[in-house]
Amino acid sequence: MARKPTAADRIRRVLAIVPWIVANPGSPVVEVARRFDIDEADLVADLDVLWMVGIPPYTPDALVEVTIEDGRVWIHYADFFSRPLKLTPDQGLALLASSDGLLSVPGTDPEGPLARALTKLQHSLGVGGDDAAVVDVDFGSADADVLATLRTAAAEGTEVEIDYFSFNRNERSVRVIAPWRVVAQEGAWYVDAYCHRAEAERLFRVDRVESAVATGEVSAMKPSSDGGTTFSPTTTSPRVTLDLSPDALWVAETYPCEQVEDLKNGGRRVTLAVSADAWLERLLVRLGPNAVVVAPTADEAADVSGVAPAAAQRILARYLS
Amino acid sequence: MATNKLERLLKLIAVLLDSTRPLSAEDIRENVEGYPDDKVAFRRAFERDKDEIREMGVPLKVVPIPATDPPLDGYLIPADEYYLADPGLEPEELAALHLASMAVRFEGSANAEALWKLGGQGFADDDSRPDVDSIASVPVDPRLSRLFGAITAGTPVSFEYRDETRTMEPARLDFQRGRWYLTGHDRDRDGERNFRLDRIDGDITIVGEPGDVTRRPERAGRRIVTWEMGDGDPVMVVLRIDASHAGWAQRQMHGDAEIVTEDDGAILATLPVKNEEAVRSFVLDFLEHAEVVSPPDVRQRTIDWLEAIAAGTGGEA
Repeated sequence: MARKPTAADRIRRVLAIVPWIVANPGSPVVEVARRFDIDEADLVADLDVLWMVGIPPYTPDALVEVTIEDGRVWIHYADFFSRPLKLTPDQGLALLASSDGLLSVPGTDPEGPLARALTKLQHSLGVGGDDAAVVDVDFGSADADVLATLRTAAAEGTEVEIDYFSFNRNERSVRVIAPWRVVAQEGAWYVDAYCHRAEAERLFRVDRVESAVATGEVSAMKPSSDGGTTFSPTTTSPRVTLDLSPDALWVAETYPCEQVEDLKNGGRRVTLAVSADAWLERLLVRLGPNAVVVAPTADEAADVSGVAPAAAQRILARYLS
Repeated sequence: MATNKLERLLKLIAVLLDSTRPLSAEDIRENVEGYPDDKVAFRRAFERDKDEIREMGVPLKVVPIPATDPPLDGYLIPADEYYLADPGLEPEELAALHLASMAVRFEGSANAEALWKLGGQGFADDDSRPDVDSIASVPVDPRLSRLFGAITAGTPVSFEYRDETRTMEPARLDFQRGRWYLTGHDRDRDGERNFRLDRIDGDITIVGEPGDVTRRPERAGRRIVTWEMGDGDPVMVVLRIDASHAGWAQRQMHGDAEIVTEDDGAILATLPVKNEEAVRSFVLDFLEHAEVVSPPDVRQRTIDWLEAIAAGTGGEA
């Protein structure tokens, strides 16, 4: 149940509806209501208020006149409301970001109505011109054909064979999946799918799909209700506790941390779930002296203190050979 | 009851929009119906109303009334700052905007009101209104709208970034890799720079007048890569990445990377690097499947980095 609109909500709507009716005299009330997503009764109640609005000297021709006849509506003497209020920076930004974002999705017509709307909108906001967009939204790289194949399969409920590069396991594999949703989050495209090889729901990064071929098979697997997330740590995932230097605080911003404790030197002690062994190796060689493994260490069964030195040795072998 | 207030606010906006001279509070009390007669009660109601209409974006200005002594505050709404410049959207273009705002959610924004201002939804009837699933959402930083306002108005800004004050001519907002970046001309460094919005400390300060910025960004529509963010001249760094990882790597290297594919499918990528730390982080992400080929000093520093880790002497956090 929607909350009762406040005076401020109603005024925002009135200030937009009045100019539209002024510009489209005699429009059916039902059409106006649909266009502005409002009940007919509420629309009529809002227009009723206009009767009393006017400017000095409040002679009849200085008061707004609303006529509703045979289900059609006219507004006269509302010159001061004949055009809508400017878009606020928030609103302008949101529209440009949504439009540019959708246009960046491979497969969107770069010269279609959305592209034309974006150009007009920029012009109206006094930005853009011929040379440059002032808002540029990019959801991450993805091969246009791969993305299109996955989105079509998700829409049709059919299956796709993918050649997938698993970064964490550092291996390529061919598997048949039933895509459910294709979404962009945290800077990359993901496909949430049922994976026949894993016999479970899996989330795949689209930029790691080397190729995708539609099999045409209709999938019997139904999506889970909640949808996937980029990484959901399970209770069985191993944990690692690190002391991060002030230069390594991005780790705490980038990965879900279970415990965070500020250190005296401006750093932070964090506990992270480890999604795969290679993930931890990559994190630790990148952090180098900016992270110290606090736990688990040599006296614990799941000791990870040797992970980073071993990975560094393997990489060094490549440089020193 | 809300209707009385709606009526009063509409009258207030109409009177201020129509007037060509600033009106005093007294003028408003006399000419706008619906305010209490008591002066104190009027003042309280008027203050609240001013806040409320400003919050919806109405450009209510306060200016001194000419020839009053002591000077009296006058109120007005300049028409050219109030009215939307009609973008002249065709119905199918309006419908496309509507679809875009459903498909790409801008977190926490009231896109509905923006679309009302542009003419409501552009669909002919409910049947032609498609059902669109959200495919992406864009997070919002509280400083975004201030920066966007400065870009559209052409106003210089300043802010704290990594303990330094930067004075910028803001030009573009980029959303990449899940983050917002600001691109513009850095006045103190006299060159184009990129900044991560989440690394800006505190608020954005407006430091000039609208129209002060006329410069356009040097290159529009190119992606920001972390190793290209920094001061100084770029150093050309060559990386070799194994065939098994080449496809994915190539999709990550935007900007000015030059890529040569070798016979075995491995790639040699030449990158202009202003931030060595960022490129080291990038190459180490491939573990033993990639290396820094040249220049020799960058290669040596990478080896030193790895040797310290291998020796287990990595660490004083």
